[in-house]
Amino acid sequence: MNKENFIVVDYMKCVGCGTCEMVCSLSHEDICSPTLSRMRVVRQEREGYNVPITCSECEKPACLNVCPVGAISRDKDSGMVVVDAYHCIGCRQCVRACPFGHMSYNFEKKTAFKCDLCGGDPQCVRFCWMKAIEYKPMDQMSGEKRLEAAIKKIEAINRD
Amino acid sequence: MNGYAGNILDINLTTNEIKIKRLDPQFAKKYIGGIGFNARFLYDEVPAGADPLGEENILVFSTGALVGSPFPTTSRTEASAKSPLTNGFGTSNSGAFWGMQLKNAGYDSIIIRGKSDKPVYIKIINDNIEILDAASLWGHDSWETVEVLKKKYYGCEVAQIGQGGENLVKFANIENGYFGGWGRTGLGAVMGSKLLKAIVVKGTKGIRPKDPKGLLEISKEGQDLIASAGSYQAFCEYGSMNAVIPYGNFKALAAHNFTKGVVPDWKENYGKQVCDEYSNRHIACQSCNIACAHWVEIKEGKYKGLKVKDMEVTPTIAWGINAGLPLEDTIKSGELCRRYGVDMVSSAGAIAFAMQIFEEGILTTEDLGYELKFGDAEAAFKLLEDIIYRRGIGDLLADGVKIASEKLSAEEYAVHVKGLDLPQMDVRRRWSVWAFGMLTNIRGGDHLRCRNPVENLRFNENTPDLAKEKFGFKKPMYDKLDMPEDLKAEAIDLESDMTDIAKMSKWSEDLINLSNSIGLCIRPPVMEKVGPTILSRVYQLYTGINITPEELMKAAERGWNLAKMFNIKHGEKFEDIKFPERFYKEELFGSVLDKEKSNNVLKDYLIARGWDTETSRPTEEKLAELGISFEGKGM
Repeated sequence: MNKENFIVVDYMKCVGCGTCEMVCSLSHEDICSPTLSRMRVVRQEREGYNVPITCSECEKPACLNVCPVGAISRDKDSGMVVVDAYHCIGCRQCVRACPFGHMSYNFEKKTAFKCDLCGGDPQCVRFCWMKAIEYKPMDQMSGEKRLEAAIKKIEAINRD
Repeated sequence: MNGYAGNILDINLTTNEIKIKRLDPQFAKKYIGGIGFNARFLYDEVPAGADPLGEENILVFSTGALVGSPFPTTSRTEASAKSPLTNGFGTSNSGAFWGMQLKNAGYDSIIIRGKSDKPVYIKIINDNIEILDAASLWGHDSWETVEVLKKKYYGCEVAQIGQGGENLVKFANIENGYFGGWGRTGLGAVMGSKLLKAIVVKGTKGIRPKDPKGLLEISKEGQDLIASAGSYQAFCEYGSMNAVIPYGNFKALAAHNFTKGVVPDWKENYGKQVCDEYSNRHIACQSCNIACAHWVEIKEGKYKGLKVKDMEVTPTIAWGINAGLPLEDTIKSGELCRRYGVDMVSSAGAIAFAMQIFEEGILTTEDLGYELKFGDAEAAFKLLEDIIYRRGIGDLLADGVKIASEKLSAEEYAVHVKGLDLPQMDVRRRWSVWAFGMLTNIRGGDHLRCRNPVENLRFNENTPDLAKEKFGFKKPMYDKLDMPEDLKAEAIDLESDMTDIAKMSKWSEDLINLSNSIGLCIRPPVMEKVGPTILSRVYQLYTGINITPEELMKAAERGWNLAKMFNIKHGEKFEDIKFPERFYKEELFGSVLDKEKSNNVLKDYLIARGWDTETSRPTEEKLAELGISFEGKGM
């Protein structure tokens, strides 16, 4: 798994189809259930915006800090924040602490769960036909943004 | 059960009884879901002669079998009841997210019977089902209703009526959240007659497929397949608005109550390029990889700040071209119709009808209190309000153009088949499978139940006997079309490059009925690419029930035949299957529809269907072949 890669979401591209939620729960839990998806789409219907919310892999993870039994840790190899389902006591402190509402709770298994990037092949990205969700290195994302901005600047100069 | 939720919810609003029945897997395989279930329930439960707005009518919602899966475009749920507009099989299909939530709550269908004695709404959150007081919601428009209920139950979806349904306007819709809806045949009035304001659904149970990995992979295959359709990019960009220009070029638009074929500057004002001006993004239904709907915002002028999911061909033509309103007023009509909860085609149809008889002097300023001319948005919206609140002439028009025209002795101006207003396209100017389908549609004059999966909009050519339309594609398209080879060879003749309208119509209707049973969208890229072969595989991976493509098509045909039998049980006659007389008499740019020839196509269609050519009733042999019997309840 590439440590440099992270999930990038473009809210202007997301059409709110929720395919990511279906394939996430299907590939992790063998069930089609948005409630059990790691990726959640927030639909702001009257404004016409759809915002996929996933784990930000924070540098100072509130979920990790608040866990009373140390069931949440940072994986050394991947750099990801991971939940150890075996040691999780189901207190849901992490669910409350996560500032993005990403950390979720599985009522059947009685454990917290979060995005695990599908071991490096995120299914939400694979199925996102709009490319609103992408998985790429930080410098790739910034580079693409810089390129986009540069093209706009050149266009503006040419218009003058 | 896999794939299905496995339960049918049965709610009696007279007695407040709530029952949950198990879904029988044999029943599921026989009728698939969606319209298949509804046709069976309605045929069995609604007695002949029942008043559509009375206690005996039932309102049924059934999710498509694949709803709740990631297979692309499987969001659709069918709602059905006896129609107050046509007195026949009232039915409508809607996507968005309501059906997925219902299934996640644990129910494939809801049957609503009886009649409440006070306004209520139904709340379904998993096993928690309640009939609750709706006094504070009654009288509010559909958007206000959704807003209140979504705030109260986070993450829920709502099926609701506006004032249209409350006031029993016979073409009222059941709206599906803010921007979806079960339109056309007046199901909103049925819901209103039961004093049912809304159905709130929220589910967290999930649907367990038989083969999770197989389902995941075939869903990707489905995405790629749809994306390989020739029309895919065009649909992603402009959705159904692509159709305006070809139909305008054929002078085949429903214009000024079907009298003109085009209006001045139609291309500049209503062509697909208007989307670029008003919209910069798209909105999708559950699991869809097309996202045909445009998010539209008006930035200046009298409607500044208006935001709405809009710019679909059918309402744009209905309000913009049939009633003649300017584009921004057409966008506004999208908001008004959704708030009031009325069908956009039939409301514009009723208003266009009134505009024409105003022109003819049958309606006067004294009758209305104002002038009513084609293109006058202010007058049109005033009349719409009069219809919704059943004031004056509006009260007559609220019963639909068929009844209104009879009362006003203006039958010749009413454009409908079996009471349902015809949409968008004037069949005199383009005769095709699609045009013909408006005649045989189980719900009346409507374009959504018969669509040639390989229709080529570049051509407008028929054989002189009207039996065939130009196919217009190359052999690879023919080869890839998922249709039994013998039937394909009968329906499409590559040598003469012609498609047989009767035979292809029968196939198209069954194919769409399969979509409406299985929960699949019928946008052209889907219809062209996703046929019964891949669907049988998806169905098996999802439900674990073995089924062949042939069995799926038989099930779809079974549903269509049952709906037809419903119509016959409720009084449909052979003579009702006809276009408005003016289509056979009045020329439009030199075209009239030849009655004898089009009736010959109808005869060929009835033969292809195995229906009696004198009465149009499915023959006993056909019913036996499909395994349809009318004893027992089938459950």
